[in-house]
Amino acid sequence: MGNADLRSLASLEDVPFEELSDSVVAVDAHNWLYRYLTTTVRFTSDEKYTTSDGTEVANLIGVVQGLPKFFEHDLTPVFVFDGGVTELKDDEVEQRREAREAREEKLEAARERGDSEAVARLDSQTQRLTDTILTTTREVLARLDVPVVDAPAEGEAQAAHMARQNAVDYVGTEDYDALLLGAPLTLRQLTSSGDPELMDFQATLDHHGITWEQLVDAAILMGTDFNPGIDGVGPKTAIKLVREHGDLWGALDARDAHVEHGDRIRELFLDPAVTDDYDLDLAVNPDLDAARQYVTGEWEVDEGEVARAFERIEASVVQTGLDDWA
Amino acid sequence: MASFLMDGGVAVAKMFNAIVSADTLQATLDSVSVLVDECKIHLNDEGLEIRAVDPANVGMVDLTLEAAAFESYETDGGLIGVNLSRLEDIAGMADAGQLVHLELDEETRKLHIAIDGLEYTLALIDPDSIRQEPDLPDLDLAAHVVIEGKDIDRSVTAADMVSDHIALGVDATDELFYVDAEGDTDDVHLELDREDLIDLTPGDAHSLFSLDYLQNMNKAIPKDAEVRMELGDEFPVKMHFDFAEGQGSVTYMLAPRIQSE
Repeated sequence: MGNADLRSLASLEDVPFEELSDSVVAVDAHNWLYRYLTTTVRFTSDEKYTTSDGTEVANLIGVVQGLPKFFEHDLTPVFVFDGGVTELKDDEVEQRREAREAREEKLEAARERGDSEAVARLDSQTQRLTDTILTTTREVLARLDVPVVDAPAEGEAQAAHMARQNAVDYVGTEDYDALLLGAPLTLRQLTSSGDPELMDFQATLDHHGITWEQLVDAAILMGTDFNPGIDGVGPKTAIKLVREHGDLWGALDARDAHVEHGDRIRELFLDPAVTDDYDLDLAVNPDLDAARQYVTGEWEVDEGEVARAFERIEASVVQTGLDDWA
Repeated sequence: MASFLMDGGVAVAKMFNAIVSADTLQATLDSVSVLVDECKIHLNDEGLEIRAVDPANVGMVDLTLEAAAFESYETDGGLIGVNLSRLEDIAGMADAGQLVHLELDEETRKLHIAIDGLEYTLALIDPDSIRQEPDLPDLDLAAHVVIEGKDIDRSVTAADMVSDHIALGVDATDELFYVDAEGDTDDVHLELDREDLIDLTPGDAHSLFSLDYLQNMNKAIPKDAEVRMELGDEFPVKMHFDFAEGQGSVTYMLAPRIQSE
């Protein structure tokens, strides 16, 4: 999910939702969904989102509750879904799988000792984006006429690419890697209750007096999803090293260190697999009855959990404002 | 009466002293309170004007009440800000024919209200703290219908039985005004032709509206009023009517819902 130490390098400022109206944000769908999934599972009892045959679709509650925030602020979301897993990341996927198995064991143990608090916490951590979750999320987004783009690989890289092409105004993700992918403006905390946080790519480069390549090199020295960092190299040292030695290779020489596949990792940020083959229909015209039927009828989600959120979507999307004619 | 709202930089009123019948005051307040809780009242020699839009920017009211509608009316002009539901409650204490005396206390920024020996002192609101008044959208609406208030009431009441939204339209070919409401199981349809209407200027029009808003506006429309309705194709609707024997006038504007295919 990106190295959180990047935060200390990033140019960040809070920006009120009002300032974002009439813009388009390419949302890293997996990142967004994961957040709503974990909060839904943490705060909602599982019978509200479990079908009679035992399938859990907490994502449907998360999606429906998460969307009004965009619409109410006239911010059009485009959800960008991951394609295949990037090969180099296999290690990380494997590590995550192992971590998840460990949590599942702990969860089982917690259940046996009747520790409900630990169960709730672990339960939310073991959530994963199953095929059912991804499919049903796409289906409900389709009924709500929310634009969706399929990335050839990483959704975040595709979102950054679309922002660099000015097809969208912002990238929406919690992941600081958006900076490494060159996303000009990234909105963080779209899933939180307060104001979003704006991460500014150019301001970040200017602040440190470095190039995009140097920022990526510094990140590789600190460690990314694709490589462990160099021992003892934090954000400050990493920036200092790339400034003094020009690039990753110079910095590695100076530290007498090595990063496996260093050049390929660079490419993953500077020239990732992205596509121009996407079609954005930004006029959102939802079929709310169909979406309601899908969520509460077909997937048996408790109506009380989503009724208010559907009303909010309806009020914000279906109802025009007089200012549209001013 | 000419609108004086757009002058800009209007000062807080210093002097306002008026006597008005309870009916007229209640009708004035009711017309605005169906959309907002607080409003600014503009006072000048010719009378008062209120313009307000609801927080969601969906419904707007523009109201004028001429000085002649008052038993007596004196002001040096300016703005006051009021809490409508409080003022409505007080006005509701008067019987229909009774007179209400309103007097602004410049020092304390309070409005003294006297109704047949009952005295009430209402704290005013700083006008700057009230939501800014909207600009009136300049709309060119093709179809004009003049309809009795009671027919609007019938339409809205029937539609509400089946749905939460209502389509208002004019069929230019058949020269009729129609109302459609589609529910999950039941539907309502009403047609009014030239005979049923006071007047009709045909033009193709069809727009969908939230019944919540229309019901609220309907509450303030007198059943015997002649309501001039202006409609377009997926456009806001304008509804205009007079009250206080023609010395007061209200224009409502309501933004449409998007029609899903």
